[in-house]
Amino acid sequence: MSTPDFTLYALTAISLYIIGLYGIAVRRNMVRIVIGLEIITASVNLNFLAFTKLDQSLLPLAQYFVVVSTVIGAAIAGLSLMIVIQAYRHYGSIDAKKLSKLRW
Amino acid sequence: MSESWIILQPIIILFTGALLTPLIEYFGRALKFEKTRDAFAIIIFGLSLYSLLGIYEEVQRQGQLTYFLSPYEPQMGGVSFSVDQFSVFMALLFCLLGLFVSIYSVRYMEDDSGLDKYYSLLMVLVAGLVGISFAGDLFNLFIFWEAMSLSSYALVAFRKYRWEPIEASFKYLVMSTIGSLTALYAMSILYGLTGTLNISQLAAIIPTLKIPSQIPYLIIVAIIAGFGVTASIVPFHFWLPDAHPAAPSGISAMLSGVVIKAGVYVIARILFTIFNPIAFDFGTTLVIFGIITLSVANFMALLQRDIKRLLAFSSIVNIGYIIFGFGIGAYALNVYGTAGYSIATLAVMGAIFHIFNHAIGKGLLFLGAGCFIHEAGTRDLVDLEGAGKKMPWTGTSFSLGLLTLAGVPPLSGFWSKLFIILAGFTIPGNTFMVVTTSLVVLNAIFAAAYYLWLMQRLMLRAPKPKVERAHEVPILMVLPVVILGLITVILGLWPFEIMGFAEVATKSLLGLIGG
Repeated sequence: MSTPDFTLYALTAISLYIIGLYGIAVRRNMVRIVIGLEIITASVNLNFLAFTKLDQSLLPLAQYFVVVSTVIGAAIAGLSLMIVIQAYRHYGSIDAKKLSKLRW
Repeated sequence: MSESWIILQPIIILFTGALLTPLIEYFGRALKFEKTRDAFAIIIFGLSLYSLLGIYEEVQRQGQLTYFLSPYEPQMGGVSFSVDQFSVFMALLFCLLGLFVSIYSVRYMEDDSGLDKYYSLLMVLVAGLVGISFAGDLFNLFIFWEAMSLSSYALVAFRKYRWEPIEASFKYLVMSTIGSLTALYAMSILYGLTGTLNISQLAAIIPTLKIPSQIPYLIIVAIIAGFGVTASIVPFHFWLPDAHPAAPSGISAMLSGVVIKAGVYVIARILFTIFNPIAFDFGTTLVIFGIITLSVANFMALLQRDIKRLLAFSSIVNIGYIIFGFGIGAYALNVYGTAGYSIATLAVMGAIFHIFNHAIGKGLLFLGAGCFIHEAGTRDLVDLEGAGKKMPWTGTSFSLGLLTLAGVPPLSGFWSKLFIILAGFTIPGNTFMVVTTSLVVLNAIFAAAYYLWLMQRLMLRAPKPKVERAHEVPILMVLPVVILGLITVILGLWPFEIMGFAEVATKSLLGLIGG
């Protein structure tokens, strides 16, 4: 039962989530947008672990969730970087502003 | 309980099929018969549909099937599957459309390369969809959700030598991933508060929690916003009008027919099962989202010249009806308590029936649009005028699809809209329900106008030069379109069987409340 630890972890998780969203909204570089997605994945994983600071009995299942969710995050990163490479082949750039033929 | 492992059959069949497809492709090349993989895909979808029928009979007999996969005890909340009538209803729909799309793709996709990957991804997509409808705990649901999403991103970008699919797929990936991670964030809070993610255990624990009343609403909003991206509720719909036209037509039919329905299914399942609508007021939010979705998408659809883009906006309109139906149901339960149960049943039954009608109707329209595009080589409505005259079978079925979505009486789309609107007008004294339902009626009339206008352009006008040399598409392409057209007519004239199924599905969704 350590509430200050929980507050620290949970606040870090929510601020990582906001940082990730900000990065996706503001950055034009497609690789940085993918990094933004990965930051959000990390924030969700951290939030699963934050609650284990309140109650140790949550730990085993939370670890399982975090491991599987990390794998899914890697799959998302892999697929999105594949799309970034294809976009680079079409436009010679990874600037998301160049992808303006469809209204973004 | 030991025989309930049959729940896993369709998922295992589809994943095994996805793994074996490259091998089958190799054998097909050795035998000099390229279509082996297509035949294999059709067999796999047929097998999974057959095993689903077995599950359907079992569920009819026992009511609900549950299966625990993990070595953990169920109390610990390991991986579990739980199947009721609503799950089977959705899973049958997913597999049925998968079968039609795989038959259609035999000829439609024959000029593309890498088709073993195409069929593998299609099988993973349907396996993910079936897994979503069968999942008994939220984390398991999330895993299948990502399997479904990742394969649909890849399928949208399948023709990667063109710029449009790449752009649309990147946009879809970024928006949908933010949505699903937001929903996972909500799940992490639920897990922290309750110590389990099992849906039936959550439903039992949530009312006993002593927490500030804002926290459940925070979770509800995150769930609606998170899964609402894939369901394309209006402020989150921006990916859809780009992804649908960019994908191959068969995949557009899958996306519009079933993938966005999976979003609606998850929202309904989580909100109605975990959060009791009598205690939590999420109905108002859903009704308002439904009205905004309907109005904005109806207006946008009028501005389109691209036939698939117009159909994409019309998909958003129909998601509006479905969300509105679920919303009216939850609102009636919240305001009138158990006395509102009959209204809620009517509204939710209408929404579930509309899920079915729209999946069949919009699957038909996208496959039919694919036939026109295949012949004319353009997606521009102005160039496609009169195409229906040159291709009578496709044209007639396409018109049936437009009429069922417009809600013309003898066809099946009429019945579901009627139920939703009737439920809204049942209590004349309630201003909120009467005003919102009137808005829905206005939108339905408005939508019918542009469906008929589209039909008139395609069927009645003189053929334009680009469609002058068009003729009827190969039998394997026109067959799924005609069968889907027949389904809308048959279910319009004899809707009682499917309405009974939708009603049982509704009762299983609202199960705990009716008592």
